[in-house]
Amino acid sequence: MRVLLVEDDADLSRQLKGALSDAGYAVDHAADGEEAHFLGDTEPYDVIVLDLGLPKIDGVSVLERWRREGKTAPVLILTARGAWSDKVSGFDAGADDYLTKPFHTEELLARLRALLRRSAGIASSTLACGGLRLDPRAARASVNGEPLRLTSLEYRLLHYLMMHQGRVISRTELVEHLYDQDFDRDSNTIEVFVGRLRKKIGPDRIETVRGLGYRLTSLPGESDET
Amino acid sequence: MTDGAGGSVDDTASGEPRTWGRWFGRPGRSLTRRLIWLASAWIILALVLTGWTLTNQYQESALRRLGHVLSDTIDEVVVSTNAAADGSITVDEVRDEASLRALSGKYWAVAEPGPRGHLRILVRSPSLAGESLTIPDDLPARLAAARGATISYNDPDGLRRGGEGPLGVPLRVAASMKQLPGRTEPVVFLAGVDRSNIDSDTRQFATFTWTALLSLGLGLVIAVFLQVRIGLRPLYALRNEIADVRKGRAARIAHGYPLEIQPLAEQVNRLLDHNQETVERQRTHVGNLAHALKTPLSVMLAEAGAHEGPLPDLVRRQTEVMKAQVDHHLRRARAAARAQMLGEITLIEPVLDEMAVMLERVFEDKGVIIDWRAPDGLAFRGERQDLQELLGNLMENACKWAKRRVRISAGATGLGQMVVVVEDDGPGLPEDQREAALERGARMDESTPGSGLGLSIVVELTRAYGGRISLSDSEMGGLKAVLELPAAQS
Repeated sequence: MRVLLVEDDADLSRQLKGALSDAGYAVDHAADGEEAHFLGDTEPYDVIVLDLGLPKIDGVSVLERWRREGKTAPVLILTARGAWSDKVSGFDAGADDYLTKPFHTEELLARLRALLRRSAGIASSTLACGGLRLDPRAARASVNGEPLRLTSLEYRLLHYLMMHQGRVISRTELVEHLYDQDFDRDSNTIEVFVGRLRKKIGPDRIETVRGLGYRLTSLPGESDET
Repeated sequence: MTDGAGGSVDDTASGEPRTWGRWFGRPGRSLTRRLIWLASAWIILALVLTGWTLTNQYQESALRRLGHVLSDTIDEVVVSTNAAADGSITVDEVRDEASLRALSGKYWAVAEPGPRGHLRILVRSPSLAGESLTIPDDLPARLAAARGATISYNDPDGLRRGGEGPLGVPLRVAASMKQLPGRTEPVVFLAGVDRSNIDSDTRQFATFTWTALLSLGLGLVIAVFLQVRIGLRPLYALRNEIADVRKGRAARIAHGYPLEIQPLAEQVNRLLDHNQETVERQRTHVGNLAHALKTPLSVMLAEAGAHEGPLPDLVRRQTEVMKAQVDHHLRRARAAARAQMLGEITLIEPVLDEMAVMLERVFEDKGVIIDWRAPDGLAFRGERQDLQELLGNLMENACKWAKRRVRISAGATGLGQMVVVVEDDGPGLPEDQREAALERGARMDESTPGSGLGLSIVVELTRAYGGRISLSDSEMGGLKAVLELPAAQS
């Protein structure tokens, strides 16, 4: 497994490099944003550890560039700023996990193992509906190439709608597929989630069929080939 | 709160109109009152002056007209008067109907200054019917002083009938002392005319004038009142907007205002901006300090962790203490900066959404499902960063302990409050540990991996916002955290 370690502090880099090598990773190290971006762009890493406070280009910008260029390697963010707003902006840029400094080395290793397990075997058949795409194996969706940030319940709903696109699906059917058996189901649950999905994928893709349920359609003028 | 004339910002119950006393009390404290008082005083002064001048002028001109009539009469009489050589005076018959008819209202008399300064009547018009024109005691002297001039005076009592009392008709009398040819002694000609018509005209004019001016004055005062109220309305609007900012319903002064108070609104906005900048600067400093300290702490932790023995143990323990101290003091600094913040509001829904998406990703291995509900438009009266901090820590905690499910429901409770409930289906927390968990907050999540200061941050933030947090059992089996926070009506 190849890992890219991006960290500007010399001591911490040395320690982490040692720990990662001991754990069996092949480690490349970058000490600033430019170098990190170059390495991540040219080498096929399995996982990346990215410090956010970097010289030259900050970590969030590096991550955004990678994601724009289609790099999908899972990224774990290291940040000294423990504020949630920093974590959120890291996730918006495309991070997969975060770790707040100071941290224990064992925890970093555990998180990396989890990330690698998750990303194993990503390439798979995707579902498409107009500009909407959904990758069931990676549990990721996008609209017109922009990644969608969905909660798992929203994802489940979209998945079910996409598997049955063009067909009218009743609320009962949706609620049954949305929740495990022991979940409480109140009557307007589906409306709530359809409302949230519409906010994220655009208002017109999910059609309300009065009295019957919902139907997912591609927008007029959109072809499924995009 | 549409009404609210004149009161101070604090008197929020300005909806009810108070006693008139507020308009007639001390004028210095209310701009409205001061403007209305000044304008009213000026209006009343101007109108009184106008009324006085008008009535005076009217009377003057009426009297002037009478004066002409009187001097014409005197001229007529003078022309018809002959002085004999012996000094006796005769007046040719005046063929003037008004002079002949008794008490017709037009009278004349010819007199000569007698001994002891009295005037002795020589000839009188038939219309006097034996009565006499009243002659003031000082008249002869005045006539002598201004020989040839005509002196007019009022005779309020009118004709006297044999000295038995006033006939009741007020007269205007003119007198002139003339020198007749063929007579050495001067002769005094007197003419009188009934002035009751003129008096009643004048009175009528005065009544009309004062009535008109009074209603004009009332109208003007009302107009001023309305003008001030309408004119000052932007001020009240500005006041309400500032109150909104203070209450967290708005972040800035948004409306356009008239030229005169727009600068004030802009200055308020600039003050808000300045406030915000100060807070941001504080945050940045605090963040920088965190960054500067935390990387070395990481190095020490890692280095100590890589070795066995009493020294590494000591370093590890002390590093943990330092970490906790740094976090604690950073939070205090942030809380202090927060207390000055005005007017921020943050919608709940997007924050819950981004947190849920992110935490589900973080806990993907476990397959945690976060089911959150919040009404549209529910907003927290405070900063987004703080809401992220509150919800992020509570939700992360719940995700850590949950088996599969985390449920969050937010709702307004009225009275500017809202409640956020975070529940999980994990093992929960025994009742005797909850108090301690809230008090110190720090250590309870040490057993799952992570830095574990979540709850203490939540407790301190909640306190800073005047909210409340409590822990109890969830029907899902785990812990239920109930967070009460200030809400903003939006």
